[in-house]
This record gives sequence, C-alpha cells and structure tokens, in this order.
Amino acid sequence: MWTWFHQLGSPKWFYELTGRWLPWLVAAMSLLLLVGIVWALLFVPPDYQQGNTIRIMYIHVPFASISLAFFPLMAIAGTVTLVWKIKLADMIAKTAAPLGAWFTALALASGSIWGSDIWGTWWIWDGRLTSMLLQLFLLIGVISLRSALEDTDAAAKACAVLSIVGCINVFVIKYSVDWWNTLHQPASPITTSGEGPNGPEIWVPLVIMIFAIYLFFAVALILSTRNEILQRERRAQWVQDLVRTA
Amino acid sequence: MFEIQFASLGEFFSMGNYAFNVWSVYALFALFFVINIYFPLVRRKQILKEQKRRLLLNAEAEESRTGSS
Amino acid sequence: MVERIDSRPRSSTTTTAFVATLKRELILAYKRKHDVVNPFMFFLIVATLFPIGISPEPERLSLIAAGALWIAALLASLLAMDNLYRADYEDGSLEQMLLSPQPLYFMVLAKNIGHWLVSGLPVVLVSPLIAYMLSLPEGSYMTLFLTLLMGTPVLSLLGSIGVALTVGLGSRGLILAVITLPMSVPVLIAGTMAVTETQNGASLAGYLAIMGALLLGTLTLAPLASAAALRISVS
Repeated sequence: MWTWFHQLGSPKWFYELTGRWLPWLVAAMSLLLLVGIVWALLFVPPDYQQGNTIRIMYIHVPFASISLAFFPLMAIAGTVTLVWKIKLADMIAKTAAPLGAWFTALALASGSIWGSDIWGTWWIWDGRLTSMLLQLFLLIGVISLRSALEDTDAAAKACAVLSIVGCINVFVIKYSVDWWNTLHQPASPITTSGEGPNGPEIWVPLVIMIFAIYLFFAVALILSTRNEILQRERRAQWVQDLVRTA
Repeated sequence: MFEIQFASLGEFFSMGNYAFNVWSVYALFALFFVINIYFPLVRRKQILKEQKRRLLLNAEAEESRTGSS
Repeated sequence: MVERIDSRPRSSTTTTAFVATLKRELILAYKRKHDVVNPFMFFLIVATLFPIGISPEPERLSLIAAGALWIAALLASLLAMDNLYRADYEDGSLEQMLLSPQPLYFMVLAKNIGHWLVSGLPVVLVSPLIAYMLSLPEGSYMTLFLTLLMGTPVLSLLGSIGVALTVGLGSRGLILAVITLPMSVPVLIAGTMAVTETQNGASLAGYLAIMGALLLGTLTLAPLASAAALRISVS
C-alpha cells in the first residue's frame, strides 16, 4: 500500500504522466482562453453601472478565486513533505509559492484598476484588498525563506512548516480584516455581480474564463515543476537518458 | 447574446472611455501569461542543454581516464 | 513532533524541565541586561518618534495613540525576538535541549514565557505612561493595558516560529520581519479596535474574549510549530 503511495509520488511517475497530459491541457486551455477572452471583450453587454469596466471582471474574478487556493495547496504539500517525506510534494510547493505570488499580485492589480473608477482612487483599505495584500506578503515570506536556506532538504521542511502556519494565519487574517473593515467603512463597492440576478450572457463567459484560468494554473504549475524535477533528479538514470535523447 | 457590442474598431479600442482600465488589465494578463508559460519553457531548454553538456564532459573525462590508464 | 520513546510517567520530569528552562532563561536575562533593556528602550524611542513625525497637538495624537503604541510594541517584540534562540544555538545548548528526552513543546513554551517576561512585560508595564504622553483619551488606559498584556505574548509566540525557522541563518533580521509581521496583523487589529471601539461605547469584554481566543490559540499551536522548526533548523 505505502510502496504504491510512494510510487505515486515519485518524480519520474509525475514527469511521465504530465508529459502525456500536457498537450491536452494546453489545447483545452488555449481553446477556453480564446473563447473566453473574445466573448468577454466583444460580446458581453456593458454593465448599466460600470460600463465596459465589467470586462475586467473576467480576468479579476478567476485570478482572485484561485489566489485563495495557494496557501491550502502549499499547506497540504507541506504536510505530505513532513509526514511522508515525498520529494515531489516539495517540488510542487516550491513552484507554487512564486506562482501564487504572481496570481495574488495580478488579482490585486486588476482589482485596484477595476475599482479605481468606482472608488475614485487606486487603493482603498477594503477588506478583500487588504487581506490579499497580506497574503502576498506571507507568500513572499515563504519565497524568501526558501531562497535563504541553502540546504534543499532543510529548506523543504522549513517552508513546509511556514506554509502550514501561514495557511492557518491566512484564515485568521481574512476574518479579522473583514471584521475590522465592516466596522470601519461600508461594504466593498465591488460586489461580484457575476452570478447574481444577471443573465447567462454575463456568467457563462465568466465560468469559461474561470475554467480557462484554472487550466492555466495547472499548466504553469506543471511546467515549472517539471523543470524542478529535471534539476533535482539530474543524477537519476532516467533523467540522464532523457537528457541524452533531447 | 451573440452580438458584437461595438459599432466600430475605434469604439472597441476606446472601450467607452475605459480604455486604460480595461486594456491595462488585459495587458497585465498577457504579460503574466508570457512570464508563467513561456519562461518555464525557455528554462527547460536551458536546463536540458546544460545537463547534456555536463554529461558529455563527464563522459569525455571518463574516456580519457580509462584510455590513458 | 514530540517523540516519546518509552511510556514511563514523566509528568514530574516535564514540570521540572519546564521550570528549569524558565529559570535558566530568567537568570541569563539577568546576566545579559542589555538584551532586556534594548527592546524596552526601542519601544520608548519609537513611541517618541510619533509625536515628532506626526504632530505634537494632543487632539491629533490622541487619534493615533493606540495604534502608535501597538506598532511600537510590535516592533519592539520583533527586535527582541532575535536573541530568543540565537545564543543557545551558538553555544550548543539548543542542541542539548533538542536531544533531551523531555517534550520539546514545554521547553519551547518555557523559553517563550521567560522571554516574554523579560522583554514583553516591561513594555506592557510602561505603556500607560507612554499612552499618557501620547494623549490617549481617558478611559482607554485599562483597555490598552489589558489588550497589550494579552496581545504581546501572542506576538512573542508567533515571532518564536519565525526565529526558530531562521536561527541557522547568518543575516536574518529582514527575513524575520517579512515572515512574522504579516502574521501579527490579527492581534494588531484586535488591540487597536478594542481601544477605538470602547471609546465609542462598546463593551470591553467582547474584545478581551477575542484577544483571549487569539492568545489561547497561539499558546497551544505556536510552540508546536516552533518545536518542529527548531528540529529542522538545528539538524
């Protein structure tokens, strides 16, 4: 049973499996992105209040929703690293951290550009923006800890601990910031009007974009993880064979 | 549901005076896309090239050692 | 995290280890007085910078007094964290602590408590005086004092995780700040909100309950993480 589990977590297995999946994932991602972006830019009717800025939602909402998944993902990978010492989990955690920082940064930037018109300013200490910003700081903390520790194994474990602590912390921060914010100012002017009373002409492209960005996340994570595998497993026979034929 | 919302290309680019907001977000997305998809692919080529070079060097060193002894 | 090899009853030895670690921490602090005095001085100086940087007018100062005190306490706690494990790491006694059969959790807890007693408590005790100098509105002194009393241990416990993770690094001042400062946001929010909201007539009990929940949560969980982090850093 456990040998099976470890086999499942072997870098070679992951590399070969994702090698087979990648073309399909990339194809599906490109198709959905193309359909989603063309639909969002050309066919979605302007919002009666926000006008054409509604088109920003199709980038912002998918990114914001995936950004929330990074700390749980890194915490799970960290637990697997600490408990079962599976190298693959740490490789995924290592590539997830910078990717998560990119996702969070883009969610923040698109949110502030979207809000700039409604709020009249580029930045307000809105609950969601603030907790996103703090999540970005925590992710940068994980990345800088990783780069500061030279020993790969120690870095893996230390980042695993920090990711688990950070994951708990992200939730506490989220609740406390929401609480702080509701007492300080009225609710955020950005209410995701996507799935609400609006018709399918609004939410269908949003769903398409969400799937597209999820696939994009998967592809980006897989590509970087494969690079990480090639580097860390460079002494393994199968990598050397692969390098020779490349 | 499937009507193009813009009468002309100029109107499409101006986005009802929200050109900056809308296009900057989509430009950021494009940049982000390039960084996270294209760069790993470039990196992969680099890694493979570097490791191949190292393997060849090792093999040469091995050969010269066994040849001389 | 804590591995017990045999199952002899060891509650008494655990207590002994806890007390011994605590005592050692206090004795060391007594011998290295600058480690105690520096965070305290840092707190005073940062608090002094606020009126100079913002405005000496009492009306304006009273608006920011609670926040300024909290931020000064936060930075002082961060500064003090640096010597929590550093000296023990360098002279090898940290390794001894990890090798000892006593549960590491309680020894980390003892170290944290001892450290807070010498670096956090003085800051809390002097806070009403600084609050007066920053013209904190009357009636908020008790709130500020109690929330700082409950909040600074949380800051120490969280900081301990960061220090434990980075204890082996040569230069770690900035990385420690990057790791731990975002984590202390909930405490900062609870502390400053308690002060501003009790001024508006809210009851103190609710805020103390939230602060107490944060304290209990970190008191149980943070030493676990610190212990795990120490094992990683020292091995």
